[in-house]
Amino acid sequence: MRSFLFNIGYFIKESGRIIRLNLLSNIFSVIGTGLILFLLGVVITGTDIGNRLVVMLNEEAEVNGYFSLELASEKRDALAVKISNMDGVRSTRIVDEDEAKTRMENILGEEAKILELFDDNPFEAFVEIRINVNAMDSVIDNVKNTAGIEYVRDNREVLEKIQDITYALKILGYLMIAAVGITTLIILSHMIRQGIYNNKDQINTLKLLGSPGAFIGFPYVLTGILLTLLGGIIAALSIALLINGAYDSIGGTIPFLPLPVREELIDKMTLWLPAISLALGFFGSLFGLSSIRERR
Amino acid sequence: MIISNDVSLIYPDKTQALIDINIDIRPGELVYITGPSGSGKTSLLKLIMGMEYPTTGSLSVFGKSINNSRSGNIRKIRRSIGPVFQEFKLIEGRTSLENVMMGMRFLGAMPKQMKTSANEALEKVGLSHKKLSRVENLSWGESQRVAIARAVARKPSLILADEPTGNLDYDNAINILGLLKSFMNENTTVIITTHATHLIKDEQNATFISVDKGRIEIERR
Repeated sequence: MRSFLFNIGYFIKESGRIIRLNLLSNIFSVIGTGLILFLLGVVITGTDIGNRLVVMLNEEAEVNGYFSLELASEKRDALAVKISNMDGVRSTRIVDEDEAKTRMENILGEEAKILELFDDNPFEAFVEIRINVNAMDSVIDNVKNTAGIEYVRDNREVLEKIQDITYALKILGYLMIAAVGITTLIILSHMIRQGIYNNKDQINTLKLLGSPGAFIGFPYVLTGILLTLLGGIIAALSIALLINGAYDSIGGTIPFLPLPVREELIDKMTLWLPAISLALGFFGSLFGLSSIRERR
Repeated sequence: MIISNDVSLIYPDKTQALIDINIDIRPGELVYITGPSGSGKTSLLKLIMGMEYPTTGSLSVFGKSINNSRSGNIRKIRRSIGPVFQEFKLIEGRTSLENVMMGMRFLGAMPKQMKTSANEALEKVGLSHKKLSRVENLSWGESQRVAIARAVARKPSLILADEPTGNLDYDNAINILGLLKSFMNENTTVIITTHATHLIKDEQNATFISVDKGRIEIERR
């Protein structure tokens, strides 16, 4: 440990020398790592926005329970309270005949004139049940079996699609993280191996002089961390530019899109990408270094 | 310090380099290993350095077994050795001073102390004026002196010099042998391999290990 502390300056100088020894290749490796991490940033950002969308849609997930026509008003209220106490139910609300008609008029817009053809209001009152998507099946079953409910109208297909999208986004995110991780580790370990090969005579001499493996390897670990960190910084700056551009162009055009606060997202990415690059740099270098371990 | 019992070394290509070697080298000894090229001198040094393991027999250096030792243990042993390689093994792109310091960096010395020791060693070998020269710009003889400075700056218990007189004329060879001997003291053993027996024929207070076709004869004068 003492040797390490006394030689910090030497390690930094060595690291710079290793980078300069194969400068062009290292520059391209930094750019390559930066691009891969940038893609990771895009996926993380996309997943973040997607998750928000899913949360928003989840909160909107609802089924409607229709009463027997002869059910009295107080009993309807009691029924709504009873349903609201079921597992997987977020909230319930009675929508009376008038509100149901108004809603349809809003949906139809100019075509709402068609409703004027009816003498009486054709819409029934119902209990609007906001549910947790994950508990959809059990909630629908429970509501259907509740005395006083005649039938349940659910938008199961839509809700199932939301669940599929959530699942797909998660899988895509994990795949992308795995792909970025593996690719960066491989690029970096090859970079380190190349550096070791270029310095094989020096390494051999140090071994013969009795240098511990950690002392020989540390400049390479430092090099790996430094190069990947540079890649991470490039990726963070690029993603910050992309987020700014995207918010400027998309934000106003698609106002219903549940975008996170721009500054929060940029802060998150500019912190995460260099942090991920640091970790990848460390482990990639160790992976590359494994080629010189355990040899006399 | 170095004890071997019936050590033999056979290389993977079946070349028998050393046969039944029994030696006992003590602290503070001056040892010459002589013999013609290919006789096994360098193989013996490689065994002591832990660059090869004995095929049979046992070998210990500084009381630690070399036989199938882990690389970490071998390197610990090497830290107490000051090697002067036949081809010097200096690190190009660095100055003489940096090369000498390189041999000490992992020994736990403070940077200032390292620099002082390296400067002293370069002064002893007469190369203070070349301490900031890159080693690739030095002459053959100067490079050899840097290698010696790197070996002694570590204040080792054992200095191993492999054919240090190899390509030198008589006067320079005698100078180099004198320089190496000057580092010998009660705690530091010096082992020198050479095929130039005429350079050491009058040497006294030394041990001579003569190697021929893998077998050795020991004479103490």
